[in-house]
Amino acid sequence: MSYIDFLNINKSFGSNHVLRQINLSVEKGQLATLLGPSGCGKSTLLRCLAGLEEVSSGSMYIDGADITGKNPKDRNIGMVFQQYSLFPNMTVRENIAFGLKLQKMPREIIEAKVSHVIDLVDLKTKVKEYPHALSGGQQQRVALARSLVMEPKVLLLDEPLSALDAKLRKLLQAEIKKIHIDTGITMIFVTHDQDEAMILSDVIHLFKDGQIEQSGAPTQLYTQPKTRYAAEFIGHYNVLDKSEFDKMIGLGGLAEDVASSDVSSVAIRPETIELMPEDYTLHHPEQAEDKLRQAQTEDKYLLPATVVNSTPHGNVLRYTLDVRGIRLHADVLFRSFTLYPAGHRLCVSIEKRNCISL
Amino acid sequence: MKKSKSGPVTVLLLSIYLLLPLLMTLLYSVFSRWSDILPEGFTLQYYSELFADKSFAVSLLRTVLISMLPILLTALAILLTMYVVIIYLPGLEKYIRILCTIPYAIQGVILAVSVLALYSNAPGILSNRTLLLTGTYCVAILPYMYQGIQSSLLSVNAPRLIEAAQMLGAGRLYAFFRVVVPNILSGVVISAMLSASIIFGDFVIANTLGGNYFETAQIYLYQTLFASGQKTSAVIMVLFLVTLIISLVAFSLKKKERRQE
Repeated sequence: MSYIDFLNINKSFGSNHVLRQINLSVEKGQLATLLGPSGCGKSTLLRCLAGLEEVSSGSMYIDGADITGKNPKDRNIGMVFQQYSLFPNMTVRENIAFGLKLQKMPREIIEAKVSHVIDLVDLKTKVKEYPHALSGGQQQRVALARSLVMEPKVLLLDEPLSALDAKLRKLLQAEIKKIHIDTGITMIFVTHDQDEAMILSDVIHLFKDGQIEQSGAPTQLYTQPKTRYAAEFIGHYNVLDKSEFDKMIGLGGLAEDVASSDVSSVAIRPETIELMPEDYTLHHPEQAEDKLRQAQTEDKYLLPATVVNSTPHGNVLRYTLDVRGIRLHADVLFRSFTLYPAGHRLCVSIEKRNCISL
Repeated sequence: MKKSKSGPVTVLLLSIYLLLPLLMTLLYSVFSRWSDILPEGFTLQYYSELFADKSFAVSLLRTVLISMLPILLTALAILLTMYVVIIYLPGLEKYIRILCTIPYAIQGVILAVSVLALYSNAPGILSNRTLLLTGTYCVAILPYMYQGIQSSLLSVNAPRLIEAAQMLGAGRLYAFFRVVVPNILSGVVISAMLSASIIFGDFVIANTLGGNYFETAQIYLYQTLFASGQKTSAVIMVLFLVTLIISLVAFSLKKKERRQE
């Protein structure tokens, strides 16, 4: 048995079956992420664990104890909400001390614990402020501190950064990661942002329509997606139907793993597609096919391509290419010599091992 | 941007239009004669008579009490109802809203006569006029109290605050009254002030249900109308002053709330 176990969890709202037979485990000290689009059931599962929603069937265990029917206050779980949910009539210090006061702890212990978490989230100068005087990031830090001070067995974070701007989100991602390392607390993080999930998580559980599509470490999910949905959600994969892939590479060119009969589609990561240097540039298409076939090796495809357009994504330039009538995305580092105009003909190289059969 | 000159002029004209009757009433209450263009014989006699009259003080006190009691009862009833609706039966919210808005459409006289017809011969305490008046005012102010409390609950996102308190170890009822209610208090008080103003200005319900049994300031005003015009003006000025104080309190609370936001 793991530290947290969900066993056969089902949850319905009327006729809407939101969670379907969820079986999921989280190890102690892990930061697990529930990733998926809006409405896939990830937040509902989190709320079920918190006790804010009742499950329709199934059981949940924390540290071996069945918590399925317990009240939220008896579960020893902390939760940080997307909308912060700070108490507007209380100062930062009062917000953080709220739960401890309910436990009727001695004042000096409350003071010590509150001061400790205030240091942890770096809010020393804001303790006497009211929530309305704080920025979004500061409010979320208070919400984090308010949960951490209770020393919960598990900390749940329900899209806590989605209301923040990109820069602040990155900053708080790093802080959450640091707090996780410093405290060793078991965390379950809900997000729809795959980049956020990749940065923060020890393990990612990818949700689709109330079910877990795939679970694994971020690198595993990124490099070995098992389904088309996983490939499209977790990376910016090019996912081609088998017929499209065949058309792109020419018949008989399939790598062994890709050629198996039960393959329905093939996924290729944009950054594994290499744009070849100038001497491979194709000025005479009728000669190019022969040249490329000669140059092709056992472990890579060499294909003729035409640039459709390119868009910069930070330090990466994303090309849309036309390869024998099939559209492919290719990511290259944004450098002056990697700039090709629309209509430019070139050659792309794709290693066969990077063509993942789904 | 070029400022429009018509705005301040409109405000000035409107202020004159609204304040002129009040000014005339004030003048009428502090002069003994007004038979020519200008009044004559400045006096505070009508005010001293008024404050010396014990029945005026009692009627004013009755009005204050009959304003507060229905407000407290209605506020409590709505808060408890909203607690149940938020926590257990969110689907009922729209029906509660309709129910609480219905009194808007019922005229005071219809409400009072209906209550009188239904309860005047009822046994025991049910036919008590003070109780009937209290209950009827509870119904009359229901829409104003409900709207204020409901919009305050919406603005603080009450369900989320309760959930946050629950996650910190609070029970639902404790979370509602310890976390949510303090945050909507200014909204509740503003609704209460508005309701108090409505009850303060009411004559129809008070006269129909209270009459001689429970003489309020409005009934006192009505009776004074036949005795002396100047004294009536003095009563109106005192009632206006009390209502003004209530409004100022409400206004200062609203300003405080804005500062907190």
